[in-house]
Amino acid sequence: MNLEKVVFGFFVLLAATLNFGFFIGDLGKPELHSVYELFAAVAVNLVATVLKFGDRTQIGAVHLATSLVASLQLIAAAVVWTYAANVLTDGTLTVEQSAAVVSLSGGALFANVVSVVLLVIETVSFQRR
Amino acid sequence: MARSRLPELGPHLSSAGVFLVLRRMRAPLIVLIVIFAVSVLGLSLVPGVDDEGRPDRMSLFDAFYFMAYTATTIGFGELPHEFTAAQRMWVTLSIFLAVVGWAYAIGSLLSLMQDPGFRQALARRSFTRAVRRISEPYLLLVGYGNASKILARSLDDMGRRFVVIDSQSTRVSSVELDAYRADAPALLGDARDTGLLTLAGLGHRACAGVIALAGDDETNLDVAITTALLRPELPVIARSSSRAVAERMRAFHVQDVVNPLDRFGDHLRILLRSPAAYQLMIWLTSSPGTPLPERFPSLPHGRWVVCGHGRYGDELSADLRAEGLDVTVVHVAGGRVLAGEGDSAHVVESGHVAEAVAFVAATASDTTNLWLVEAARRANPDAFVVALQNRRANAPLFAAVGVDFGMVPAEVIAHEVLARLANPVLMRFLPQVPRQADGWAERLVERLVATCGDGTPDLWRIRLDAAEAPALTHRLAGAGLRLEDLLRDPADRDTALDIVPLTLLRQDERTITPTGDVQLRPEDQLLLAGRLRARAALDTTMTEEPTASYVLDGRRAAASWVWRRFSRQDPAGEPR
Repeated sequence: MNLEKVVFGFFVLLAATLNFGFFIGDLGKPELHSVYELFAAVAVNLVATVLKFGDRTQIGAVHLATSLVASLQLIAAAVVWTYAANVLTDGTLTVEQSAAVVSLSGGALFANVVSVVLLVIETVSFQRR
Repeated sequence: MARSRLPELGPHLSSAGVFLVLRRMRAPLIVLIVIFAVSVLGLSLVPGVDDEGRPDRMSLFDAFYFMAYTATTIGFGELPHEFTAAQRMWVTLSIFLAVVGWAYAIGSLLSLMQDPGFRQALARRSFTRAVRRISEPYLLLVGYGNASKILARSLDDMGRRFVVIDSQSTRVSSVELDAYRADAPALLGDARDTGLLTLAGLGHRACAGVIALAGDDETNLDVAITTALLRPELPVIARSSSRAVAERMRAFHVQDVVNPLDRFGDHLRILLRSPAAYQLMIWLTSSPGTPLPERFPSLPHGRWVVCGHGRYGDELSADLRAEGLDVTVVHVAGGRVLAGEGDSAHVVESGHVAEAVAFVAATASDTTNLWLVEAARRANPDAFVVALQNRRANAPLFAAVGVDFGMVPAEVIAHEVLARLANPVLMRFLPQVPRQADGWAERLVERLVATCGDGTPDLWRIRLDAAEAPALTHRLAGAGLRLEDLLRDPADRDTALDIVPLTLLRQDERTITPTGDVQLRPEDQLLLAGRLRARAALDTTMTEEPTASYVLDGRRAAASWVWRRFSRQDPAGEPR
């Protein structure tokens, strides 16, 4: 067992699960989407991105690309939330604002799913070798 | 074809620097992210109060903002509300964590900048980019020692580009200090690595040749073989100091092998036969614009004493014996005389220097050569003294000790390589120089100085074919053309151009210094020496129909097609 692989797999998977946890629920209802979960998703996604730095293989490059996409989408979601909650309204988001934030995180979720699929492919092909 | 045989470089070698940064920065960045995330989350969860004392917690955004300016030690001081004791405790902890995180990240980045591997990766990257950008033909120079420096200077003077590979960092950095007019990219690395050679542009379409002048034969052999196998069409000039290595190079069809020590004997032989021929050879192979070197007096014939190192002393004496000299050899190894005590007096005695007409000090050590020369001078002040000057920097020492003829291997190599590069036809002319009759070389030197002036003449080759001399094809095939007529001045056909024909090549037959009444034939090649202006004028004669007509026949032909139709005499006016 390789500890590096455990840590890597852990963060990639945790990024996807946190992302999913935030995304699930009615798009227009901000009370169904915890801001702390979004915060955790951003942080874990950033860690996952950094973990993918410096891999020169083809699959490593695609891994990094998916993580960058997910991180950017989640950061965009966090920025929209912050702006909406602090500048446009006072604390609670409107339906449109909530939908914008959650759908942005939905895009990130897609990238995270690709990341997990890549992880599975890598694992399977590694065992065959 | 040949290019596909080169190893695939891929992006990894050129972008290695970026990957190295990313890989090394992984741990510090993760630490930073984790510290930041924990502090922000903690700060937003720790209970606080607002201005009126009601319980209130910081939002994630406020906590992020506060941590951003605190952790980076900017310390803005703007707070939404006064902190409670619990918040203060948490912030204190966060500050310590964050400062450690930042220090770690910045420290890692700075130490990465100092890392030799990283710097080399960056240097390699900029080198690759510089090589890729070269569009004109360039030469790949392996090794940057004394010989390469002389050669590089001459190449630069001639306006030719080159790329340097050397395995010593001091030499690589001296390329920059030597300040060439054109940009000369230099790479630090072992040229035996085929990947590095490829990086230096072995597969580049503008690469015009490879010159292997590294200090050790092993590298030169490796480079020669690599080039011969991967780019067989490229010319290779390699230095070797042993016959065995030269043989191996020739097995791979590397024809141009330069052996400086071998050439020492050859030079002495030429000098013995004719000082003027030697003068001519040195002059023609010098860098452009070099003034005519002084001519040596005739060397004395009689008993010569050679102090050499092992096999090399034998070879040199064999060369001299072939010239009909009486040679005594004294073997010297590592600065000590084999036969006796190792003092200079013994050498001088055993070699009978007192009765000799000339003394040759040719060991691999300059110190030994110097003391041999000094001893010989004392024993026999009238002897002609020849010395091998292994290091160019020692030239003043040899001059001070009073050497009549010194040879610097680095200079010989540079001359040889330059001659081969400047003109392949010159290499078919030079070996003929010592074989000419008495007085021939003197006359040629005089003629060259009279027509071309004091600087080294420009040497070039012309081929009388449809591509290079379209204006002459009709005449060559028909009425015939004399060399003298071709070399008339287009401005005034009664004067001759300042050009001296050195060689005429017709298939495998060659004529040295052809006379003016030689009949030229199609596909003939000529090696010419002259001034640049004359070269331009000759080019016009060869390519412009009206100029050719005037120069060769004295007829002022019409330049335009209509007038040519009217005059109906010009060969070019014939219907096609």
